[in-house]
Amino acid sequence: MAYISFMERFRIPTYDDPATGTTGRVEIDRELCNGCGRCAAICPGKAIYMAGKGTRRKAGFDQDFPQCMSCNDCAAICEQGAIAVTEPYWFAYRFKTLDRGPFSAPRHFPGGTQDARP
Amino acid sequence: MEEVAVAQSLASVAPTAGEWTAVEEQVLRRRSVRKYKERQVPEDLVRRVLEAGRFAPSAGNCQPWKFVVVRDRAIIDEMEHDIRLACRLFAFLMDWRTSPIGRGPALFMHKLNATLLPNMLHPIPTGAVFAVARGDLMAFHGAPTVILLCEDVRGVSKPEVDLGCCGQNMVLTAHSLGLGTCWVGLVELLKRPKWKKRFGISYPYRFCEGIVLGYPFGEPDGMVPRELQAIDWYENGHKKIVY
Repeated sequence: MAYISFMERFRIPTYDDPATGTTGRVEIDRELCNGCGRCAAICPGKAIYMAGKGTRRKAGFDQDFPQCMSCNDCAAICEQGAIAVTEPYWFAYRFKTLDRGPFSAPRHFPGGTQDARP
Repeated sequence: MEEVAVAQSLASVAPTAGEWTAVEEQVLRRRSVRKYKERQVPEDLVRRVLEAGRFAPSAGNCQPWKFVVVRDRAIIDEMEHDIRLACRLFAFLMDWRTSPIGRGPALFMHKLNATLLPNMLHPIPTGAVFAVARGDLMAFHGAPTVILLCEDVRGVSKPEVDLGCCGQNMVLTAHSLGLGTCWVGLVELLKRPKWKKRFGISYPYRFCEGIVLGYPFGEPDGMVPRELQAIDWYENGHKKIVY
């Protein structure tokens, strides 16, 4: 079973078209956001910007041309829990994303295997 | 073998809380840090990090690595400058959105290079190269300490894998010491006579990866969601796919 066809392997689109691939997506809860700006400061893709002044200063996600690689650094650094990465990046054709399921937090798989070992 | 359909429904894999071991904590809570405080990391901590690298497993115990530690701000800035120049050249030739050579020729160059260098020019690092060229991203993220991992190309089997193990030991140890780290693949762009000469890197060594080290800006740690992976699982004469 081919995961990626011969033709797909040699097609390299620009990925500007959402049909051929999209960047990550970040959702920001503007109610919870306190405008500290840490997420925008650490975002490696400059996909998050700060806008507004004073108490209305809030983080926003660049909708036009975000360079989000769904690294989740913004969600981890946000003390308010206002940020969630909702979609991972994916690509079609040559760099087709394979064998992925949806997002999940770390799972623990309780089963007591640690204590049960002889 | 008989193939059984997806064994575990995705709904049943909701996150669960529980006791993590100390190692799991480090693995799960560590995030790549891309913004650092200026404060230098004490030498003893860097030595401890390198010590963890020294004890990494390697094929045939060949230890195919050499570490170059750079804590000199002037040298790091110069490396940053040179990487940025190289990125600007890439952007000039290949950034179809902005290149002065025109969209058509730039797209041609992009596709040609992405075919020849599929790993370096995956869309994500391509975006990073263009971001460095624009000045939106720093290769070394302003970190005060840079460890360059050099690979002995004569290493047993697959020396790059050994360097990965070695670096992972180092970044997890650094995390346990309260430091932030980030892998820097853009050191690829330092593979030029100037920097090879500067650091005395010649055959059998080659620059492989960089790891930056420093005190992180803010509190970057935390467990975050990540895509599940489709895992093929063979047992009792059946194949199942688990997530």
